[in-house]
Amino acid sequence: MASIDLEKMRQKIKCTQWALVDFDWESPGADKITAEQWPKLKTFMADLMWIEHVGARGFAALAKSAPTDNLREIYTYFHAEEQRHANAEMALMKRWGMLDENESPVPSANLRLVIEWLERYADDTPFNLLATLIPMLEVTLDGALCKYLLETVEDPLCHEVFAKINDDESRHLGVGFSVMEMQGKGPHYIAFIEMLGRLLDPRMMAGALVYFPLLSSMRDNLIAMGMQEEKLYKTMDKFKKIGGRTAQGRRNPWFQLLHYHGTIMVDRSNHFYHMPVDMLVALSNKIPQRLLPSQPGWVAELTHKPTA
Amino acid sequence: MNDPTINNRINQTLDVIIIGAGFSGLGMAIQLQQANINNIAILERDKEVGGCWRDNQYPGAACDIPSNLYSFSFAPNPNWSRAYSSSHEILNYIKSLVSDFALQRYIRFNTNVNDITFDDNTGLWIIKTDTKKIGSSETLKARSVVIASGPLANCSFPNIPGLEEYKGHKIHSARWDHEVDFSDKKVALVGTGASAVQIIPELVQTAKHLTVFQRTPAWVLPRLDAETPPWISTLFRKIPGTQKLTRQALFALHEVGALGLIWNSPLTSIMQRVALKHLQHQVKDSWMQRQLTPNFRIGCKRVLMSSEYYPALQQPNCKLITWPIAKMSEKGIRCVEGIEHQFDCIVFATGFDIGTQTAPFSVKGVGGRDLGEDWKRGAQAYKSINVSGYPNLFLTFGPNSGPGHNSALVYVESQLHYAVQGIQRILNEGLARLDVRERAQEKYNIQIQKRLTKTNWNSGCKSWYLTKDGFNATMFPGFATQYSAQMRQFEDKDYLRVSV
Repeated sequence: MASIDLEKMRQKIKCTQWALVDFDWESPGADKITAEQWPKLKTFMADLMWIEHVGARGFAALAKSAPTDNLREIYTYFHAEEQRHANAEMALMKRWGMLDENESPVPSANLRLVIEWLERYADDTPFNLLATLIPMLEVTLDGALCKYLLETVEDPLCHEVFAKINDDESRHLGVGFSVMEMQGKGPHYIAFIEMLGRLLDPRMMAGALVYFPLLSSMRDNLIAMGMQEEKLYKTMDKFKKIGGRTAQGRRNPWFQLLHYHGTIMVDRSNHFYHMPVDMLVALSNKIPQRLLPSQPGWVAELTHKPTA
Repeated sequence: MNDPTINNRINQTLDVIIIGAGFSGLGMAIQLQQANINNIAILERDKEVGGCWRDNQYPGAACDIPSNLYSFSFAPNPNWSRAYSSSHEILNYIKSLVSDFALQRYIRFNTNVNDITFDDNTGLWIIKTDTKKIGSSETLKARSVVIASGPLANCSFPNIPGLEEYKGHKIHSARWDHEVDFSDKKVALVGTGASAVQIIPELVQTAKHLTVFQRTPAWVLPRLDAETPPWISTLFRKIPGTQKLTRQALFALHEVGALGLIWNSPLTSIMQRVALKHLQHQVKDSWMQRQLTPNFRIGCKRVLMSSEYYPALQQPNCKLITWPIAKMSEKGIRCVEGIEHQFDCIVFATGFDIGTQTAPFSVKGVGGRDLGEDWKRGAQAYKSINVSGYPNLFLTFGPNSGPGHNSALVYVESQLHYAVQGIQRILNEGLARLDVRERAQEKYNIQIQKRLTKTNWNSGCKSWYLTKDGFNATMFPGFATQYSAQMRQFEDKDYLRVSV
């Protein structure tokens, strides 16, 4: 994949903005959600919304550590755009009667832990790790979730909103894969040693302990809602295919590591990985609500209201 | 002795025309008067004196340099009511200069300069004006011109798509609308620069709700403001030397600040740490702390002084928004997070149109050369005051005369002193042209730009000090003492002289 012109991309991003007020949230079609669909969809949308929001915080960290002014501005926009996706998804939940006036979806214990980790350490996370992890999550989880949603929900407004969200996401991926390739420049062994050093950082280890169970539980939720396991494999293949389509992309050690992890994450037969991670999921679900950390200020920015 | 009123002399050839009746224009007139040069006129486009201090009368407007330093050394005021005086009090001080030095007779109000052209044959500047009052245009002639219109003459609105679509009330901080009652209004304030940090603490007390839109956070240091005890004023009145000493102490203190603000030194880290501690002390929420923490070195952009700004942002009726603005709509501002924020009124605290630093009118020099064209790629002058090819023309606040750490008036005083020396030579020697040599100007600017590369201003952040290409034509890379020293002596060898 040839690297994209990031300057042109920045201009394009600025020219393709949309807002929640562009949609008629009272338009017909909300009743196309069936009673059977409703409870599963509520959980699904909440997960999707939180993934967008957690992704937004990741982009905020990238904006802080980006190596150039142009990339910094692009990530600042992506941060806001992911927030817009989360807001739009909340507005859909409100439309479908899944949220009260001032209600936000409650994050699971795993999410709460990830949010807390991001609050503490996101800005110290290596740029190269975040810049590879976010495209992977966007292709696999985000991509799979959106595709599944559009296949199962008939509300036309949902399709209109997700057409806009997907346009944004394609730009996020364009930039994401381009930046991943940039990381493949330079001697391979130095990048590899640097990565090892970063992985030995206790903050990164703590991050893995909250990230692995979250990913695993989301995967299981998707399967429980009826998504075919092959689709998850396909999305992971997509990440491998695009991320590794050039020699430079393949030289990025974070790409190799995250792709390897993604592959074993979607493959339930790998007990060596899944058993301890399942234990962590079970453990985190047992944490009493009162012991979970309070939500940071950035979570309070979420809203389903198109105007303020 | 000339006729005391300007209207009776305006058709004669004047020795000096000063454009602008702000601090530097009036200061210039005082200095010329004291040098016994009285055939002068001050052209002011407004109906009052005061320049940016007349225009900036927004709530909370004040100077962030102590008043005992932000005033002329030749016109001390023992009665400053506070350490950092309000805009209103500064304006009164400027007005007092007019009465104390009998400047009224030189000032022609409501006179807007459209263009000034140097006549190669006569060695006179031809100044074309229009007079608001009678709606007519005039052509004036003068041997010398001092452009004292200031860098902050024209306010600037941000380049936001759809700015004209907004149907609510728009106010610029430099053109405040004192008729508006904010108590029942949802108000937006765009910008978090020097004006904004002064307006926000005031507006949050009067507005029903205030939303602050921030693009880039600035470093904010606490402002140690206090009322002046009456005994201090009495002491300054009875023993003027004490006020002079106070001024010198303040000057020295600010000069030390240059070590941290202009160059990257251990003091820079200390100042940045102080600013960070100030933020952490006043703002407890970690996300808000993050939103308000700059990602550039202190000094790279203008450092703000306020102890009230951070608490104001945390008031229940105030909200800080850091999402990028996508566009303006009929009812408000749409941000990239997808929400349309609707308001009754939007305040733009977005500064001034600095441009390429030319005057807000056309300036044509020898052979019709145009200053705007010459400065297209960045303004350049000799010692910030003269430009080669534009004889007998003096600039105040010219290129590379901006201070980042001390009172601008210290720099202005040096410029006034230098200009008087030049004008005296023109008049005493009967010169048609006193023009700085191109080579001398070039040499001076090479040095300035070389020194600028080592400063914090050129360390990577985007600021109004730099052009879009990153050229710094705004700041002086050194101590105020160094600037004053370079302006002390008129460098005759660097000028071409042509007699009438």
